Amino acid sequence: MEASSNEFLRGTLKTIVLKLLAEQGRMYGYEITQSVKERTSGEITLTFGALYPVLHKLEQDGFLMTESEEVDGRLRKYYSLTPSGNATAVQKVSDFERFVEAMQSLLRPQNGEISLAKL
Amino acid sequence: MGKYLSLNSDFGIEFITTTDMKKLTPQQLSTLHDHLIRQNTNDRLVSELLDHLACEAEEYLWKGYNFDLALAKITQEANSMAVKYLRDTYQHEVAMTEEQLQNASLDDIIFEFRNKDYGAYDLRQAYPFALRSALILGIGLFLMMMAFLSGIVKGSWDFYSPSGLMWVLGVSGVAYSIGSWFLKSRQLKQLTTT
Repeated sequence: MEASSNEFLRGTLKTIVLKLLAEQGRMYGYEITQSVKERTSGEITLTFGALYPVLHKLEQDGFLMTESEEVDGRLRKYYSLTPSGNATAVQKVSDFERFVEAMQSLLRPQNGEISLAKL
Repeated sequence: MGKYLSLNSDFGIEFITTTDMKKLTPQQLSTLHDHLIRQNTNDRLVSELLDHLACEAEEYLWKGYNFDLALAKITQEANSMAVKYLRDTYQHEVAMTEEQLQNASLDDIIFEFRNKDYGAYDLRQAYPFALRSALILGIGLFLMMMAFLSGIVKGSWDFYSPSGLMWVLGVSGVAYSIGSWFLKSRQLKQLTTT
């Protein structure tokens, strides 16, 4: 599962980040990884190596804005959506939902076949 | 964040307040920072990753590990492979676009993933200007000195002689370089204060 889920994750990371920020408003990197881990009951874990490039890319594209705050003697960088980021989040999530639906109809067993899941 | 979401359901506690949290000492923070620097972490990510790893460490502490054990776990996770992966992904994802590359100077390209605030970038940016000003100032002072000396030797002064011309050129050169340097530094001050 590990290797292939990483492969699936790569294309959806931006959508995940945008969706979470749209819900939570303001988050920092570690908070995002924990939130994903918790909501998927540990099925999906984001490594920092995958997360931060995406965050900085989204910031560069003007979808995110950042503010730094000092917490316990270190700088914490909070991310939140810009107006164009909000629009992109809505767009991406609906695109992804359509994709998931399409995938599900692909995975659904065709006539005459018995699904393993039903057994 | 007043509350901290616990992932470890073994403890049967879902929320604890941050005041109960174990905090890293400045010394422990700097240990983590050193680790990141040793792994050759991307300049732009150091402070952010430090916070990330520190959060992880505090979670380990909270679970009952001591700092050394937490540090071992974290350094194992954030090893050079992971940091290298981060750097590669980062440079691939956040690289300049074709369009930006067209307008980028050599300095922009060299410093794309480096720390621009450190000072070297500013020095390089200011170098052509500094070189030109210094050259004009040097030539101006030299011309003034030559004109002054020839005036002393001759014992008379005439603005329409070659040495008079040299004097005027020298003075204007010095005035120009000092004036432009003054304007530039005032501009910089305005830029940094606004």
